[in-house]
Amino acid sequence: MIGVTSMQEMTQEVIRLTLSDKTASIEEILGDSIDVQRRDFMFCGNPDYPGCCYSIDGLADAAVIDAALKALVVSGTELVDEPALLATAEEILSCLMFNAAVRACSTLAAGIERILSGDTLVLIEGVEQTLLISSKGWKDRSVEEPASENNTRGPRDGFTESIRTNTALVRRRIKDPMLRMEGMVIGTRSKTDVNIAYIQDLVKVGLVDEVKQRLSRIKIDAILESGYIEEMIEDAPFSPFNTLQSTERPDKVASALLEGRVAIFTDNTPVVLIAPTYFWQFIQAPDDYYNRYWVGTFFRMVRYIAFLISLTLPSIYVMLVSFHHEMIPTSLALTIASGREVVPFPVLLEAVLMELAFELMREAGLRMPKPIGQAVSIVGSLIIGQAAVQAGLVSPFMVIVIAITGISSFAIPSYSSSLALRIFRFPLLIASGTLGLLGFSGMFFILLLHALSIRSFGEPYLAPVSPFQQEAQRDMIVRMPMWMLDARPDFAQDTKRMGEHQKPQVPKEQKP
Amino acid sequence: MKRWLCLFISFIPLLLLTTSCYGLQQINELAIVTAVGLDVGKAPGSVKLSVQIIRPADARGQTGAPAGGTGQPIYSVSAEGDSIFDAIRNLGHFTSRRVYWAHNFLIVMHESYARRGIADMIDFFTRNHELRMNTWVAVTPDAPDEVISTITGLEVVPGQAVDRLFRNIQIVGLAPASDMRSLEEAFLSPSVQPVLAELKLVKRGISNKKPEEHGSIKQVELAGAAAFNKDKMVGWLSSIETKGAMYFLQKLKSGIEVVSCPQSKDQIVTLELKDIRLKVTPSYANQVPSFDIRMKLQADVVENDCGAPITEIREATERTLKEKLALHIEKAVARAQHYHSDFLKLADVFRNKFPVEWQTLGTDWNAVFVQAETTVEVEATIESTVLKAAKQEVK
Repeated sequence: MIGVTSMQEMTQEVIRLTLSDKTASIEEILGDSIDVQRRDFMFCGNPDYPGCCYSIDGLADAAVIDAALKALVVSGTELVDEPALLATAEEILSCLMFNAAVRACSTLAAGIERILSGDTLVLIEGVEQTLLISSKGWKDRSVEEPASENNTRGPRDGFTESIRTNTALVRRRIKDPMLRMEGMVIGTRSKTDVNIAYIQDLVKVGLVDEVKQRLSRIKIDAILESGYIEEMIEDAPFSPFNTLQSTERPDKVASALLEGRVAIFTDNTPVVLIAPTYFWQFIQAPDDYYNRYWVGTFFRMVRYIAFLISLTLPSIYVMLVSFHHEMIPTSLALTIASGREVVPFPVLLEAVLMELAFELMREAGLRMPKPIGQAVSIVGSLIIGQAAVQAGLVSPFMVIVIAITGISSFAIPSYSSSLALRIFRFPLLIASGTLGLLGFSGMFFILLLHALSIRSFGEPYLAPVSPFQQEAQRDMIVRMPMWMLDARPDFAQDTKRMGEHQKPQVPKEQKP
Repeated sequence: MKRWLCLFISFIPLLLLTTSCYGLQQINELAIVTAVGLDVGKAPGSVKLSVQIIRPADARGQTGAPAGGTGQPIYSVSAEGDSIFDAIRNLGHFTSRRVYWAHNFLIVMHESYARRGIADMIDFFTRNHELRMNTWVAVTPDAPDEVISTITGLEVVPGQAVDRLFRNIQIVGLAPASDMRSLEEAFLSPSVQPVLAELKLVKRGISNKKPEEHGSIKQVELAGAAAFNKDKMVGWLSSIETKGAMYFLQKLKSGIEVVSCPQSKDQIVTLELKDIRLKVTPSYANQVPSFDIRMKLQADVVENDCGAPITEIREATERTLKEKLALHIEKAVARAQHYHSDFLKLADVFRNKFPVEWQTLGTDWNAVFVQAETTVEVEATIESTVLKAAKQEVK
């Protein structure tokens, strides 16, 4: 084991050591891990110039290493008579190597970091610097349709665990030279690649600096998922609302970049973060724009209704049935009363029980092995939907209310934000079950005030509804035709995205 | 800051505990009243109150859950007390659930109760926060507890059946749509007097099992009206008087009328009245108000048994129709004057036209109204013969 300070001293200094010293220190730092590959060779076939290359088995592509060794040994023997002529790393890589990505590296620390990222480090006796061959070649999941964000019309590709694939997917959509990707490494042990993507002449002024500053503040051992980053940089750390949008869809990221937002890619996860975020983005789906605007508007309205239902329906039902019976139309009141005739629990308890049962079913369905998934859904729905009603434990009306609420919560495109709504349902439910309309409205206002108070990277969370922005209303409750959506959000540097008179015109009939 | 936050957070559960769910009442723990009957009690000055309470499990039948037994959809009980509220409290001796009034459809009073005075009823039913002002109010010559507990054939809940009857008044036009709002309005007015609809039991229902009894099952009928002076009922209106009064009270736009043919009294022609417009113009001379009542309407022939094409009998039929309608209106006005009760709201018309004269006359309007002269003029035109046209030589 080697001390941290001495390791830093040793690896920071420019390498003036002999090959054996270098290999000794590398092996001391890396230990004798089984996946560290060492390959010795003779530079230009000359025994006076021994060389050595390091790579990690499984991360490095063997074919790339083969090609490098072929260049250094075979081609070197053929082309170079005297290895001493190629005394520096730059000369070797410019005269001898035919790999696309090779660079010289002067410190061992950087070299070791690159080895652990999948590159190959080449050391040659008598050459001060080392050569780093980019040889990343591990097994990747292929680009597949994202499982949690589906649509009927639009691209089917989703992000993967590889950050380069992910940035490439966005780059393919925006072939703009102004699209910038800035790299960053976070995590003292995981050394996770984090990329910040933005379009330089669109992005909100100062946003990139703010994102970079917040990211560089993170001091953590490892980043395993973008959720780690999200929690470390968000604006309202105590709020159940998520102030960063997370998505697996490259088209969503591309559209966010085109609106002047910033995307944060994290290696090893398909989930990309987008900032700043408005609350309403969670209710909007890419389909709204890909389908024609009538359809888009209609689906969007359905989703707003789903949002309201999933937040308030159980509370309103509990409130009406236990406090405000006069607000229910008589016939409906009788039907509800007849269904509740034999139910032994108060409505509030009934609702909480059913909500819990529903959450149990959802969670169990998510966690359990796929082959037995059907068993749980059959048993769960039978028990809750049929047997509980027949046994007189819950009223049929409550089953309907909870079922509609459940379905509505699944209609919200962003799964992570539908979870936040799910959490908000319980305080609302308890408040309206104990204090009636007073409790419901009180709790609703507390939630509303909270949502109004938070910001996402300087943008008000409930914009463009509050503060009201006239221009943005075209793409808020309704989705206006594409030729009317000619503006970017206010915070973008250039808010005009469309030429004049884009509405298609019927050509005037030409006389023969 | 942190201390305040901790305090605040610890107060929230306390707050919820101290509320003890004030006002919490499960819907299935309520006795939902859909009709109330008021009658004079046995003891002098007392009130006999009968209520129709829904039994939801039986009113709605099997809804998936096991229902609480199979039986009658309603549960009717009555109680007596010194006042209405006292009687309601006495209901609590045998109703196991809290009596809940917000879904009440109907208040029906017995004639003797109405003649004794309904000021207490108006006060109670407008003062209580649970009761609604759109509840229908009616008077019955039969026992009100029997009226409210009579199951009608079509609706499960009798109160709902009467509610539907009241809602169809514009079509049937045989009784005023009197609810708590109109009653309160007329009661508070110094000049206009209340008029309430009449409900009575008639043997009209034919039993499917015993059709040979020719309609022995009692049904609730909504027809006729009761006139009031201040809070006391003064008498009934006949069906013709009610018809005449309906043009004033409900601003009826349509109706039907059967008139005899010009050539023979035995044969009849049935007319459907449309676009009825009633205009009352008051005038004032020699300390006596007079009212010029003009009615304009169009009529369609819907049934012609005269044996003559309409072109031949049009004028004569128009004349008979005019006379008949004028008679209805005259009778209604005469009845109002007879009862010293201006339920036709002529006072409002007069006051709007002569606000200065009203200052002196209004104090004793009932006496002045009795002397008022009325002229009735009806303009009726028979326009359409519906599908049968004279040109094609069909009658």
